[in-house]
Amino acid sequence: MTPRALAWRTITASPARAVLAVAGVAIIGALLFDMLLLSRGLLLSFRDLLESAGYDVRVVASESFPVVRLPVPRASALAAQLEGLPEVQEVAVVRTDRANVTLDTSIPDQAFSPDRTQEEPTTGQRSSQDVTLVSVSSAAERRAWQVVRGRGLAEAASGLARPPLLVSRRLAKDLDLSPGSTVMVRVVLAGAPSALPRVRFTLVGVAAFSFDRSDDFTAATTADAFRQTQAESGSDDADLVLVSSRAGFGSAAAVAAISQVRPDVKPFSNDELVSRFNENGFAYFRQISFVLSSITLGFAFLLIATLLTMSVNQRLGQVAGLRALGIPRRRIAAALLWESTWLVGGGGLIALPLGWLLATRLDHLLKQMPGLPERLHFFVLEPRAVVLHLGLFVAAGVAASAYPIWVATRLPIAATLRRDAIS
Amino acid sequence: MTPIVEGRGLTRTFPMAGGVVTALRNVSIAIAPGEYVAITGPSGCGKSTLLHLLGCVDTPTSGSLIFEGREAAGLSESERSRIRLTRIGFVFQRFFLLPMLSAAENIELPQAEVGTAPATRRARTRELLDYVGLVDRAHHRPSQLSGGEMQRVAVARALANRPALVLADEPTGELDEDTGEQIAALFGRVHADGTAIVVVTHNQALAARAKRHLTMRRGAVTDA
Repeated sequence: MTPRALAWRTITASPARAVLAVAGVAIIGALLFDMLLLSRGLLLSFRDLLESAGYDVRVVASESFPVVRLPVPRASALAAQLEGLPEVQEVAVVRTDRANVTLDTSIPDQAFSPDRTQEEPTTGQRSSQDVTLVSVSSAAERRAWQVVRGRGLAEAASGLARPPLLVSRRLAKDLDLSPGSTVMVRVVLAGAPSALPRVRFTLVGVAAFSFDRSDDFTAATTADAFRQTQAESGSDDADLVLVSSRAGFGSAAAVAAISQVRPDVKPFSNDELVSRFNENGFAYFRQISFVLSSITLGFAFLLIATLLTMSVNQRLGQVAGLRALGIPRRRIAAALLWESTWLVGGGGLIALPLGWLLATRLDHLLKQMPGLPERLHFFVLEPRAVVLHLGLFVAAGVAASAYPIWVATRLPIAATLRRDAIS
Repeated sequence: MTPIVEGRGLTRTFPMAGGVVTALRNVSIAIAPGEYVAITGPSGCGKSTLLHLLGCVDTPTSGSLIFEGREAAGLSESERSRIRLTRIGFVFQRFFLLPMLSAAENIELPQAEVGTAPATRRARTRELLDYVGLVDRAHHRPSQLSGGEMQRVAVARALANRPALVLADEPTGELDEDTGEQIAALFGRVHADGTAIVVVTHNQALAARAKRHLTMRRGAVTDA
């Protein structure tokens, strides 16, 4: 009988104890798995969020981005200059402002014929809502959001009597909006009444925005319409200029080229932004995750070591008997190592789906924090975390079985047999 | 005839909290092939200590032990394990059968360790189960066997690799009188089949079957 089979028979001989042991290991393993997912989840999710926009360089006004976000002056000229660089494929100017959106039921846009059959049941109760109003250059529209109902801005703009507006699903639901609705939009100023004009828009579609937050509403319109809401003030400031590097050059080359021609602005590649995020905002999660992972791993080690040590201590006479019969130390060590492997392996594998379920729930809770994009996740499943989890568990299992193996293989046979006979 | 095992001037002391305890004092003993030796004496007189030394599970504090011509002190632990596995069979008072294995699997265990082919060891196991009268209990676990049956399985396990010497430490200590008599009869058969036996016992019926008797007192052989 192989040590593996012997270990299996030993474990299954006490099914209740085995189930409790595996359950304990699985629960601890689930926590460890969650900590490993948390250790990089936000970072991976942040990178995914950046890349989902389809641009690999972000040009801002100051080095202190993203902590301090200053407007980029003369953004249209900057965009035109950047488009001329051989390292640059595409440029998009992003402008945002706070605005108030009000449902206007008086005048439907006759030029827009929405597909009413696609409407979702709505439960909206409000007639007005403060939102983040966004505009990007038309070329970037296809990347910044995904239209889920109605049409896109560029597609619907021609032939409309009024400027087009896209709203997030949450805003559509909250104001009971659907494609074809007419809304009034007025840019608002924090803490002061707005003297800017109300502009009447036609809602052309509902979209899923990459950076939509769970505690905010988003609406998007064209650059021209955005300027109308600013009362044609003439300002050409932008919040952000997005750049996608040309194939064959890459983001680093694009960043270098932009820095050379426009030293007054600061370009960041996605990698640089993720790195900054990792050093600043994410360090907190990483440290918490490291501490909790270490504690959890310690618990896993103690649990397995205690279970195996107790199991061996209960069988010292039996082990001494086996060694007296000539069963070599290495066979006994191998059998104990297999016992550890069965317990840790079983618990460790169960820990993966259990941990993922727990992570999903925790992610949902953590995402309730204000100011976070809805698509940002704290727990991201990645092969590296699975491999690391299994690797750490194997290491814990091997380390935890070291002491009981030492006890079993080094016990004095004669003295143990004598003690067993006396007891 | 060359003895299977020979101890010369064997002394074994144990350091204890209250001082050094001498369990065995200058004992010399030789066990010839096919011999049947019973060691008796009061508890704590050194019987089991002597048996452990003869079985290479312990080493003497002084004196020498020679097993089949090899000085045991010069052997590594793995070499002593190999001798115990192939040349010695142990029978314990508490049987020490593995509870999760069947009777047949317990008997197969030492054979598998030697590397005996599965078909050969199954045949040998069946032969041994027949020898001890437990063919119908082959697939029963120790918890499903009586004390006498467990000890018969332990005897079969001790004989699995055809040892030259069987060492039994109080083999009837956990059994009632009738069952003890059955085990004594089984040892008689084993001896009759040519295997040397050294049995440590308080059981007079078992000791009476031996051809040679050693009485021990205070760590020394007083009557041979």
